[in-house]
Amino acid sequence: MDNLHPLESKVLLALTRQPDSPPTLDHLAESTGLEPSQLSMAVEWLLAKSLIAVHAETVAHIASLTPIGEVFFEKYSPIERVLSAARDAGQTGKRLTIQDIQSKEALEPSDVSKAVGTLKKEGAILIVQGGCIESTGRNSATAEAMRALLQELRSGSREQQAFSEPLRNVLQQHAVKRGNAREPFRIDERVTRSFLLTPAGQEVAQHLSREGVAEEVSQLTPELLKEGAWRTKRFRKYTISLRAPRIAAGKRHPYREFLDLVKLKLVSMGFQEMRGTLVETEFWNMDALFMPQFHPARDIHDVYFVKDPTHAPTIAEPYLTQVTRVHEQGMGAGSTGWGYTFDAERAKRLVLRSQGTAVSARTLAAGASVPGKYFSIARCFRYDQVDATHATDFFQVEGIVAGSDINFRTLLGLLNLFAREVAQAKEVKFLPAYFPFTEPSVEMHVRHPKLGWMELGGAGLFRPEVTTPLGVSVPVIAWGLGLDRMAMVALGIHDIRDLFSADLEFIRTMRGSF
Amino acid sequence: MPTISLQRDDLEALIAGPGEEPSRIPLDQLEQWLMLVKGELKGHNSDTGELRIELQDSNRPDLWCCEGIARQIRIKRQGKASAYPFFTKQQRVAGKLVVAPGLDKIRPYVAACTAVGYRVTASGLAQLIQTQEKLADIFGRKRRSVSIGLYRLAPIVFPVSYDLVKPDDVRFTPLGMETMMTLREILMVHPKGVEYGNIVSGHDQLPVLRDAKGQVLSFPPIINSREIGEVQVGDHELFVEVTGTDLWMVALTLNIFAANLADRGAVISPVEIQSPVKTTFGRRWSTPIDFGAPRTIPLDAIESALGEALGAKEVSAALKSYGYVVKSAGRKVAVQLPPYRNDLLHTVDVVEDVAISQGYARFPPVMPSQFTVGGLSRLEQMADRVRHLMVGLEFQEIISNIMGSQHDFCGKMRLEGTEWAKVVEVDNVMSLNYSCLRQWITPSLLQVETNSSRAFYPHRMFEVGEVAVPDRSADVGSRTVTMLGAVIAHAGAHFSEIHSCLDLLLYYLDRPFTLEPVAHPSFLDGRAGKIVSNGQAIGLLGELHPEVLEHWQIGVPAVALELEIDRLLGEV
Repeated sequence: MDNLHPLESKVLLALTRQPDSPPTLDHLAESTGLEPSQLSMAVEWLLAKSLIAVHAETVAHIASLTPIGEVFFEKYSPIERVLSAARDAGQTGKRLTIQDIQSKEALEPSDVSKAVGTLKKEGAILIVQGGCIESTGRNSATAEAMRALLQELRSGSREQQAFSEPLRNVLQQHAVKRGNAREPFRIDERVTRSFLLTPAGQEVAQHLSREGVAEEVSQLTPELLKEGAWRTKRFRKYTISLRAPRIAAGKRHPYREFLDLVKLKLVSMGFQEMRGTLVETEFWNMDALFMPQFHPARDIHDVYFVKDPTHAPTIAEPYLTQVTRVHEQGMGAGSTGWGYTFDAERAKRLVLRSQGTAVSARTLAAGASVPGKYFSIARCFRYDQVDATHATDFFQVEGIVAGSDINFRTLLGLLNLFAREVAQAKEVKFLPAYFPFTEPSVEMHVRHPKLGWMELGGAGLFRPEVTTPLGVSVPVIAWGLGLDRMAMVALGIHDIRDLFSADLEFIRTMRGSF
Repeated sequence: MPTISLQRDDLEALIAGPGEEPSRIPLDQLEQWLMLVKGELKGHNSDTGELRIELQDSNRPDLWCCEGIARQIRIKRQGKASAYPFFTKQQRVAGKLVVAPGLDKIRPYVAACTAVGYRVTASGLAQLIQTQEKLADIFGRKRRSVSIGLYRLAPIVFPVSYDLVKPDDVRFTPLGMETMMTLREILMVHPKGVEYGNIVSGHDQLPVLRDAKGQVLSFPPIINSREIGEVQVGDHELFVEVTGTDLWMVALTLNIFAANLADRGAVISPVEIQSPVKTTFGRRWSTPIDFGAPRTIPLDAIESALGEALGAKEVSAALKSYGYVVKSAGRKVAVQLPPYRNDLLHTVDVVEDVAISQGYARFPPVMPSQFTVGGLSRLEQMADRVRHLMVGLEFQEIISNIMGSQHDFCGKMRLEGTEWAKVVEVDNVMSLNYSCLRQWITPSLLQVETNSSRAFYPHRMFEVGEVAVPDRSADVGSRTVTMLGAVIAHAGAHFSEIHSCLDLLLYYLDRPFTLEPVAHPSFLDGRAGKIVSNGQAIGLLGELHPEVLEHWQIGVPAVALELEIDRLLGEV
């Protein structure tokens, strides 16, 4: 009852008004004023709810014109055309064969022979010697019936019973049947149902007549509010279990959300953000990090070199001189140095930043605070084939911690903090590692709830050969976190290229659990 | 760094040491021990007994072999360094190796020794060859600075000479060939000559090693002679030489080989090198040579770097059981590396070895205690404000790669040959799809649009990201600019839609602006504007040109906005 749609209410009320003669759909359409589609929808709903039942079902045969019938109406049927051709020939005295009729009237041979057969049987024509056709001047009942039917049905389909018996016979002979679709008429069965209220329907209908249907509305409007008319209305209840229509949100990229969270964690741990440039000199990307110029990772197959300009005009002093000295002889840093001749030209070579540590080196040179904690989420480039685990460019989360209290144990303490805060890991393991610019160096592995033991990052104390030439006299931790695998698990993806997906549907539906 | 393959039995025998009964080492125990060498077990084949181990430390070539890994573990288990008398005691030299004048211009240094009494086994030979290859390839930079030759000792008559000859004057049968060839022919025809010939190219004389009878040992660093220079299983007298361009690297490489062969039971005899010029080692010296010198380190330096007061006893025990020679006196320790290592540049290198020897678990983590203030750069703060506003304007954020192709960034955008087509290009292009850095964001977003015709409309997307703008006045030849890009695409997308977004965005950021018409080829003429604020161009927007949409195979109209976030930072 609560769930009655306004259309259903209208139909129910119409039925109460005609208790004695159960109405058909046509009657109901008249009494409710509903569109046929709305009406049949409402009737089906009410039948499904057993509020109404079918009283009687009558089958009527409805005759109508086919497209061929339309053509026959305009251009006459084969029988009419054969008869008229015979009469024309009689008046002009020409001989007329069946072949003549076929070619002149452009009719199918089967149509012509069928028409000739009927006309001959009715005595309207004669077949004389030589297969010639002659008109007898008598009328053809079939041709006349055909014309009458074409005219009647042209104005609309009609029940077959409405025609006289001779017309009905012609109608049936020339109706579309299985195996013969080229006919002017078709006869369809139409089931007409009449409906009456079930006892439950009567109850509902009575209730409706008492309460009135006009009260139910689907949409609250400003007018209803303004006039207070909503007080006399009932609001139709919705089927709220249906699925909601889809909309698109304005929202952050899930990977960026993940990185924003990392950023927030780092800032809340006291880290200051640093930024650098996508293009760097080999000096800041590698030399300042005490990577000798002959180091294998500086090979043409590991770093992208810039085409034009190839070199920076200068490298800032005193860093160039100091880094040169430390590479060559370790002077000033208590080191032996690498013992080779430093190539200052090579230092100016421009490359795409290959490691976030370049940003740390710049920050140290620019006068980092002591104590100071810094981080960057820097886009880096590696000369790698792009595949499921290598992207052309990727984010490196890296940073430094400078302070007089920095040593190997505080390095491990800081990594513990990262494991807890960034990876929510309870178990941590430290392994000896190698990086060209740190000593001692550590690799941190954590037990991830989904991945098991995984490498979370690498860190170490910057070698004095890195810090001293940049004017830093306290120990400095350099750390980097490898978060892409963690991000991929959080976002439920398996291919690193999906972090940079170009598929809007994928991005719209991707969500993170972190 | 290198990944090497070795046999578990061989490793276990070497860990036990000569004359000791090897025992099976469980793999988890082995993984623990591999921390001593910064090694990681990458694979294990239980059928063949093969282990694959990756070594991280590029300054410890002595560890890139089965013998070196076993040695470091064996020393730790025994608590003291292995004895290698040939490094420390005066030995009778096996012979002389005379260096000819003029080699200093091409490949000056050589070191050599003999190894007698180890009968070469199949797995031992495989290890010797692997070590030879890894050292020459990675440590020796593809044989440029170091290359190694192994020979059967019996046919060699001392003194051996390291000579310079004309390419056509010397002929011998190289390894892998059937016939005699001149050095010139080897460079042109032999696979190793083709691969490594560039190391000696440009010289009219080439290096060659010959014995007293004039038999050619090898043409370093290219190829050995087939007669003498092909060591086989069963050989038990070997001659080893190393040539190269760096005296220390050459000496170190020979020391590693001498230690490795000694670990396998060979008796090492030195070879005397006679140099025409004075070197750090003089004019005559014998190799292997212990070139290390003791270094005195204050205990404080080690303790303060580690954050743990270990005391002299523990420090010296830790270093001894890591292979060092250690003498401690009061608050100072004098340390010296074993001769197969040359990676002590600074005290910190000793500090790490103490920590590795004791195990990192020996050092309880402690939190840094000094107070620091965290924060974001002003640029990042502004970028975040813009991103939040764009999300409020119902745009979906996108993240794209910064590297891409000129065709996408310029060609498809109708910019070829215009001032807007300047990009930072890469010299060593790997793939044409990744040959330059983007100079604006819109192509990245159109890439998404191209792939998303089946996602329901409207499409509203933005990206705040970095671009590289070529600029000769910048110290690295380009500026890195943080840019907002936004695209709206749907059947009715038009200028005023994106204009309204810009208007609202800059209203909230309190940046009054005006639009000036701009003739930009990516946009329809008369439907594109330069965004000007405070007399400065800070971006542009407009309706994308139909030809641009065609290039990207986009079937709906699209409008785009580009805004330099860096320029929003200045004073209004």
